[in-house]
Amino acid sequence: MNSISRRHFLKLAGATTALIAASPTLKAQALPGRVVVVGGGFGGATAAKYLRHWGGGGIAVTLVEMNPNHVSCILSNLVLNNSLSLPKITFNYEALKSKYGVTVVQGQAVGVSGKQLLLGSGSSLPFDRLIVAPGIDFDFQAIGVRDPANVLHAWKAGPQTLQLRDQLRNMTAGNSFVLTIPPAPYRCPPGPYERACLVADYLKKNKPGSKIIVLDANPGIVAEKETFTKAFTQTHLGVVEYHPGVVVTAVNALAKTITYTENGLSRTLTPAANQGKVGILNVLPPQTAGRLAFNLGLVPAGQKWAPVNALTYESAVVPGIHVIGDAQSTPKPNTGSGQPKSGHIANAEAKVCADAILRAFAGEGPDPAPMTNSSCYSPITASTASWLTATFAYDASNNATMVAVPASAGEASAPTSDNYEEMFDWAANLFADTFA
Amino acid sequence: MTISNYHAITLIITSLGLGISSGASAAPPPGRLLASQCAQCHGTDGRAVGDMDSLRGESAGEIYDELQEMKYSAKTNDIMHRQAKGYTDQQLWLIATYYAGLSNRGGSGSNTAAGTGDHEEDDDD
Ligand SMILES: Cc1cc2nc3c(=O)[nH]c(=O)nc-3n(C[C@H](O)[C@H](O)[C@H](O)COP(=O)(O)OP(=O)(O)OC[C@H]3O[C@@H](n4cnc5c(N)ncnc54)[C@H](O)[C@@H]3O)c2cc1C
Repeated sequence: MNSISRRHFLKLAGATTALIAASPTLKAQALPGRVVVVGGGFGGATAAKYLRHWGGGGIAVTLVEMNPNHVSCILSNLVLNNSLSLPKITFNYEALKSKYGVTVVQGQAVGVSGKQLLLGSGSSLPFDRLIVAPGIDFDFQAIGVRDPANVLHAWKAGPQTLQLRDQLRNMTAGNSFVLTIPPAPYRCPPGPYERACLVADYLKKNKPGSKIIVLDANPGIVAEKETFTKAFTQTHLGVVEYHPGVVVTAVNALAKTITYTENGLSRTLTPAANQGKVGILNVLPPQTAGRLAFNLGLVPAGQKWAPVNALTYESAVVPGIHVIGDAQSTPKPNTGSGQPKSGHIANAEAKVCADAILRAFAGEGPDPAPMTNSSCYSPITASTASWLTATFAYDASNNATMVAVPASAGEASAPTSDNYEEMFDWAANLFADTFA
Repeated sequence: MTISNYHAITLIITSLGLGISSGASAAPPPGRLLASQCAQCHGTDGRAVGDMDSLRGESAGEIYDELQEMKYSAKTNDIMHRQAKGYTDQQLWLIATYYAGLSNRGGSGSNTAAGTGDHEEDDDD
């Protein structure tokens, strides 16, 4: 690294802080950029933190989040079998405020007017650049849900996670846990299979005679195929009943009834003894970008996610607005695999986006060769875990997008207790890099 | 970075009182964005929590050698052996020198707080 230019750079940057600290009234003039970030999850919190960490006092960053805290989906399946409590995976925004000087506004973003973000409260926030990271929303209609409000998905961690944990605790032994998996792409490719494994493990120990019926909209296991195939057919043999290629056509969440077709045959499961003995109906509905992405016109008609430029995460539809995390989609590579919707990747995208925005404020183009990576541990039982990892490199000649580097992509050869321990170190660092 | 650290450094910078307002208008240091992609597991600016390896305090040569070893080993049942295979040698060198630079400076990679250390060193081996 050229240390002279770097030292020079840091001096300049430090001087800006001095100016702002010494004379607050100059602040407005001296600021080269105002960024508003919506959504304080893995994408948004990381972006807000790194914009200030790297941009220093010269960049004003406001984070808008509708909840006072963020409950992490990561590790939330471990709440279901009582391995973790919800407070352990709940994060506030104090460090972003006190350590990094991010202004945090609790509120709901509802729209944009010119260069102003509109909040549900009626107030508005001016920005030079807007980053939106609203996560996902659900398409209940696609699977004929009669009563969306009653659907228990626990695919946004929080009260529903506890509700599902309690239902599992209270389920009558011998009854079935039904889990539906939506068509890809959806949030966290290995997540549903991980949940199936943890529930199976719990049922074996606590609910003799019970099983988990997995109704998968995909033609086969979407992620860590070897690991989960082995888990379903060996480790949890007889407790997991796996059905690929299922199309769910009707759901009554309160009555716990579900109708689906498999191999052209229609079938209905209900709590009745001769119809599957459904004790818990855990429906993961088909997914789309968070509502806000639609409200801001970031999702083209007929599509589900907000297309972005892979170098900057700037919307392909609305200039000046960037989308990161689960809500966005980088172009699909012509060959090879693209980035998954994961928290680890949301954090990675946030840094690429923050760097691009800081460079844009400085009148420069984005880094022409960004890298991102994903690593993720999946518990298979209450004491073993597997992992999945890949790095992604920008490839201008492959539809100008992020593509997995083949040699870097792989899964653990077997679930182990060492992996299970390492999982908590991995998560602690990801949590700290995002929220602390 | 601890809060008191932050304030101390801000004070030092403030006392310099230079009236330049160019702020972010300079190229980011090479390797910074690449290196930040290690932070999900190894901590912001290489300060890990728990049992993960911290990248701070290691020389560029040490970090680079380790990454090379993992990249070119036949082993695949290990996340870092996989990860290292995703980068070019040049990228690994940029990552290594970036972290070594942070350690040498005692800096944090933060524009608000870095640049106060006085030990600039060349990349070793
Ligand atoms: C069970 C489960 C297990 C998982 N395990 C892993 C794992 O092991 N590893 C991994 O990497 N990923 C995992 N994931 C995926 C990970 O949780 C998501 O990919 C990640 O949360 C996406 O980050 P995001 O910033 O896009 O959205 P989120 O983290 O969901 O954040 C979105 C935030 O935006 C806020 N928001 C939305 N709309 C508005 C609005 N209009 N105004 C204000 N605020 C708004 C929400 O309140 C929320 O806080 C898992 C997911 C699940 C469900």
